[in-house]
Amino acid sequence: MSQVQPIPRISLIWLLIAQVLVIIPHLVHLPLWIIGLWLVCAGWRVQIYRMRAGYPNGWAKALLMLLAGFGVFFSRGSLIGLDAGIVLLVAAFILKLVEMRNRRDALVLILLGFFTVVTSYLFDDSLLAAFYSLLPVCALLAALIGLQQSLFAEQPLATLRLSATMLLQALPLMLLIFVFFPRIDPLWTMPLMSGKALSGLSDSMTPGDIAELSRSDALAFRASFNGPVPPQDKLYWRALTMERFDGRRWSQATSRELASAPAWQKQGEPWRYSIVMRPTDRQWLFAMDLAQTDLPGARLLGDFSLRAPAAVDRSLLYQAESWPEAIREPEAEGKTLQRNLLLPERGDPRTRAWAAQLKTQYQQPDALVQALLQHFNREEFFYTLRPPRTGTDTVDTFLFDTRRGFCAHYAGAMTYVLRAAGIPARLVAGYQGGEVNKAGNFVSVRQFDAHAWVEYWQPGKGWQTVDPTFQVAPQRIEVGLEAALADEGSFLEGSPLSLLRYRQLTWLNELRLSWDSLNYGWQRWVLGYQSRQQLDLLKDWFGELHAERLALVLVGGGGLLLGLLALWLLKPWQGRPGPLQREYLRFERLLARQGLSRRRGEGPRDFAERAAHHLSAQAVVIRHFIKLWEAQQYAGKPVEVSHLKQALSALRKALPWRFVHAEPREQEHLK
Amino acid sequence: MSFTSWRQQRWKRWLHRRIPASSSVLLDQRRIFIIPSRTGVAFGGALALMLLAGINYQNSLAYGLTFFLLAVFVVAILHTYRNLAGLTLQAAGSAPVFVGEHAAFRMRLLSSTRGHQAITLSWPPEPAQAQDVPPQGVVECELNLLAVQRGWLRPQRLRVESQFPLGLLMAWSWVDLDQAALVYPQPLSDALPLSAGFGKDQQEEGGRARGEGADDFQGLRSFQPGDSQTRLHWKAFSRGQGLLVKDFVSLSGSEQWLDLQALDGDVEARLSLLCHWVLEFSERQQPYGLRLPGGEVAISSGVSHRDACLQALALYGLET
Repeated sequence: MSQVQPIPRISLIWLLIAQVLVIIPHLVHLPLWIIGLWLVCAGWRVQIYRMRAGYPNGWAKALLMLLAGFGVFFSRGSLIGLDAGIVLLVAAFILKLVEMRNRRDALVLILLGFFTVVTSYLFDDSLLAAFYSLLPVCALLAALIGLQQSLFAEQPLATLRLSATMLLQALPLMLLIFVFFPRIDPLWTMPLMSGKALSGLSDSMTPGDIAELSRSDALAFRASFNGPVPPQDKLYWRALTMERFDGRRWSQATSRELASAPAWQKQGEPWRYSIVMRPTDRQWLFAMDLAQTDLPGARLLGDFSLRAPAAVDRSLLYQAESWPEAIREPEAEGKTLQRNLLLPERGDPRTRAWAAQLKTQYQQPDALVQALLQHFNREEFFYTLRPPRTGTDTVDTFLFDTRRGFCAHYAGAMTYVLRAAGIPARLVAGYQGGEVNKAGNFVSVRQFDAHAWVEYWQPGKGWQTVDPTFQVAPQRIEVGLEAALADEGSFLEGSPLSLLRYRQLTWLNELRLSWDSLNYGWQRWVLGYQSRQQLDLLKDWFGELHAERLALVLVGGGGLLLGLLALWLLKPWQGRPGPLQREYLRFERLLARQGLSRRRGEGPRDFAERAAHHLSAQAVVIRHFIKLWEAQQYAGKPVEVSHLKQALSALRKALPWRFVHAEPREQEHLK
Repeated sequence: MSFTSWRQQRWKRWLHRRIPASSSVLLDQRRIFIIPSRTGVAFGGALALMLLAGINYQNSLAYGLTFFLLAVFVVAILHTYRNLAGLTLQAAGSAPVFVGEHAAFRMRLLSSTRGHQAITLSWPPEPAQAQDVPPQGVVECELNLLAVQRGWLRPQRLRVESQFPLGLLMAWSWVDLDQAALVYPQPLSDALPLSAGFGKDQQEEGGRARGEGADDFQGLRSFQPGDSQTRLHWKAFSRGQGLLVKDFVSLSGSEQWLDLQALDGDVEARLSLLCHWVLEFSERQQPYGLRLPGGEVAISSGVSHRDACLQALALYGLET
């Protein structure tokens, strides 16, 4: 029946608005010609509605589709893959507009719209994006309602209000399903990030890379502790180690070299915390030494880094347990040690000579390391994000000439010296510190917290961590990067608008921290609500979980919510007098105020006569009303409630105004 | 009796018990049925796709939106039901028609506190009519049904349907408003045969009236049900003046009996012929009487007499 019906105006209006709202969040990653395409199609559709243009014929449609296809191919380089798929979806969503003739086409468009909203979540699942997406959803529902409305309906806002009301009413049920609907593991894997560049650590680095990272205030991960947050200078978040050095660049050992799990012993008290990390498109996980995690498939590599089973291409939550005092590899394999002693065949002669001198001076590795640290501390070394350029022998230039650099320079140089002095050592890359959010008891670690430090090995004691940067700029470790750069003013140079630059403004900082806390909750409890978290939560609430009990809660709770809503919507306790009856009841109430009420068994006409008798001044209006009412009630004439209403309001005006009910007139009558 | 017709019988009996015929029907939970519409099924398919995206991308927001729309679908059950519940349908009469014309059944939709939107009324497969009823309001509408045979035209149950607000669900009811329209035989303009004992005079008059009739032409008046279609003034209609008929003055004062048994041929054809002459005489304001086996209408004239004759012709030989 509805297949041949034209699209009502209200529906078209909301469809156009919804389309804009659906496309807006996609604009970040869509080619710009999409906007042009939308303008052309929307303009065309409006002209069709105003009967100034026809529907496109087959050729025009084919041409449009071909153009869009070419557009996608040229801007995305292919027609397959998630990126190109989304462009194609949006293009189809727009093109469908011009060939939308009847209600069924409009329905297809609306369903496409809902699906496009879902795809926008794959790119941005923040709190803001989620709340924003309610707008297009509401507009799409309004368009759906508009399709059903008869052609008499003329108020687009009323339609929107209805759709918003329905969404609001659906909210409790939605929450119930969200919590209890069992989360299923992916049926097949879907590629998500197709080579999109993400800012973050990489598996090889020159010192400049970390300087680059310190310009970014993007979030790397958040960690919330089960107890108090450890002091700042203990927060060394390891991501990976770099064991190879080619003279300029440090890089990770091959995965084969790191395959075997190392030996270690628990010691002291562990820290327990959970981490929600942002996608990195890499496999490493962030944790403090020495960490174990509950993430299925995650493993500990030979260099004590944690590795996820697959590249982390979406937000990931995992629990971790760190043993900061653990003894790591007291007896290391020869291969490992050899790898961590390797240096380029030539280059940096001054450093090598100095290392040889140190080696003769200090027999014990510990003593040598201490001497090295003291060297950094005593000599004129500076911590700066703007180091001078170094020539070919980078380590030599840094150690003996420029003496200016940041963590990567110090850690790189120290590792070099240790290796040259015959002590196995490697560079550790990760993050250090983070901002503690007191309200939420969690730590936010951002890209500018990226850090590099050193660990060296000695027999019996295993690997030990040492941070040369601490000797040069203790504020960097104890407070944070901003404090270390206070004199230089280079903190977040590239992003003048970053709120993090204004931490000294207390109210702004409070606001920012609260927002951060809210986002973390969102990340953890909404985005992270997948199978494991769901099971944990439901176990907390209901103890042992059975499928039947879950189904019972879902169905029972849903039924209860629906029942309440039904009561509220249908109000079955309200009798349903017809419009005529209602007017008559109003009439009786009006007279009751004057002390006149209908006796039991008294007909409306008799009652009216009696009232007219008592209220002789208003007799005419009373009789007029009852005559009209009877004529319409009994004579079967077409009913015009408005006439009755007019008569009633005339009566109301004629009667004396009373604030309280008058004394019943019958009594004085009887006296 | 085939299985389908047996099933239809049962269905009708069941419906009759559940929603008995009445000239005023209030739609309530006993009388309203509701199922997902075809649109609703398509919507469900889209939701399944979205859920699949949510599962495969492990995206909580995709799950969330899917569940939100699912919840909206469930809430829409209440809204769709509510849009139909509380609506009262009343029969508001119908005017008699001739076979071959459309009988117009008037009905009234009354709302209580709530308004009702996009209510469609139809006798499937006839096209439906959509109506909006404001809160505490009354709307009149008219549904047409082709009259194919004389007698009482009783429409089948009326389908009252609403898919408002989302179109995902269809709520409907089958209502019997106990309506009936009287259908007169189709007037068949032909001469009354001489053998039937009709006077020559009258036949000539009739001939003249059907022919040019310019002498006796009195004027135009607006069309009323029962007027012969041959008298319609088409030129005026094409000028947009509405349906007018040419009015003729009475040619003769002599009285006439129209007798079914005086005619030969098929009963229906004879009834049609008599119908035509009833109209003809009535227009000429010439007194006439009607004789049918088993009863007669005494000679008289006037609109009520005409209607009595037409009703007798319409119901001749039919039970009730």
